[in-house]
Amino acid sequence: MLFNLVVMILMVLAFAVEEMLPAIQILQNVRLFHAAVFFFAASVSVPLPTMLLMAFFTGFVWDARYLMLPGRDSSVEQLTSANLGDAGSFSTMMSDGSMDLGFGYSILIFGVLGLLMQGIRPLFKKGRWELPVLMVGVVTTMWLMLQYLLITFLHGGFVFSSAVWYKTISTVMFAMLSAPLLFLMLHILARTTNYEIKYEGLRYRFDGR
Amino acid sequence: MKTLNAIALMLFIAAAVAVIFFLDTPTTRAVQAKVMSVFSPFIHASATVEDSTSKVLASDIDPKELLSDNERLRLEVQKLSIINQRNEELITENAQLRDALSYKQRSPFKNLIPARVIKRSSATWWNTLIIDRGSLDGVGTDSPVVTNAGLVGKTGRLSPHMTEIILLTDEACKVSAAISNTREKGILSGERAGLEIMPDLRLRFLSRNAVIPVDGDVLSSGDGGVFPPGLKLGSVKRFENREVSGEAVIRPAVDFNHLEHVFVVSLPPEEVTSKPAP
Repeated sequence: MLFNLVVMILMVLAFAVEEMLPAIQILQNVRLFHAAVFFFAASVSVPLPTMLLMAFFTGFVWDARYLMLPGRDSSVEQLTSANLGDAGSFSTMMSDGSMDLGFGYSILIFGVLGLLMQGIRPLFKKGRWELPVLMVGVVTTMWLMLQYLLITFLHGGFVFSSAVWYKTISTVMFAMLSAPLLFLMLHILARTTNYEIKYEGLRYRFDGR
Repeated sequence: MKTLNAIALMLFIAAAVAVIFFLDTPTTRAVQAKVMSVFSPFIHASATVEDSTSKVLASDIDPKELLSDNERLRLEVQKLSIINQRNEELITENAQLRDALSYKQRSPFKNLIPARVIKRSSATWWNTLIIDRGSLDGVGTDSPVVTNAGLVGKTGRLSPHMTEIILLTDEACKVSAAISNTREKGILSGERAGLEIMPDLRLRFLSRNAVIPVDGDVLSSGDGGVFPPGLKLGSVKRFENREVSGEAVIRPAVDFNHLEHVFVVSLPPEEVTSKPAP
């Protein structure tokens, strides 16, 4: 119980830490999405209800902090279409179908990705970190791609530039580099708080072996 | 599946659906403002650290050269170097502020709120900046943000002392634009995931086979109700014919990587579509 509480507090702090991390300008402003990576790492170590609570919190705060809400100029295309040349009617048609991501969609994405991470708990409790670290990379890729594909689906126009790959790969590399440190921290925390993982009826003392 | 897990899963889905479908835009904006206020001390702290680090890295003192001198000269050189560095900083800052002041004086907008860029905030697929002015300073949502070079973007999320700027290079910032000395009008926006250091912009919905002068100025046309007319947006790099319409690739007027001071234009609604800026 204490472990879950501390992990929840660390989850809140992860967002504060994320604000402190700078974007690296020479790498196309790539940065470590610490809160998301911490959530993925912590999902392996906590029970399902706690993971879902964390997913809700992470998704909610993520959207509150980073999601772009549609502004007043979403109607700019309709307003200007009357003044445009040959493409006037085309622009109106295009803008009618334009939508934006809704607040709260990240909650579902984090929930689904957290469930995927829960699937590798047996390996993690045995102290095998290779697959969990790899899985952090996989779910980070899925998270970025899901977001990007949703934007593409809602805005229309399939654009997949090299910058998208560059950003995805760099972000995933950062995530995978920080994941072992997070797993180590969770292991130490689990040992300190005498936390036990319960999985499919098995009882296992979380001692890092 | 255990009963507790099933209940937790159902509650999670219900809560997520409630957030997605029952939170309206004003409530969401209020939530975003609260969350940004909560994190603003960390954003400020981070900006201060980044600022200090960049100043240290920008130092032009060569310690090897100084060590080769005798004690007196070394101290003297260090002293002069520090004074010189401070002077250069002041000269640069002075030039920037003079530049900004002259823009403010010749600008047609009455309500310009000067602001300092404190952080480059890169979310997953959005390009934003954070400035040190917020709702308590009179900044509103969807207000144009400019420099003497041209349009930077528009305001997004607000907190009492901080505002996030959606850059012109972002796909979410769309501006109705016209190419000077032509009758061509279109919609200017950044490219999706335009994450390069100096990304190009796209002026869409132009006439096919339009005669577009290379290096021609692209200005805001004032349609749409957000951006006033006459703001410099960039210059034409090239023109491409698409299936239905023409499209111009635009070089932005503003260097988005070296923004230090900007102005938020606070215009009453009736002034937005007034006569063009000189």
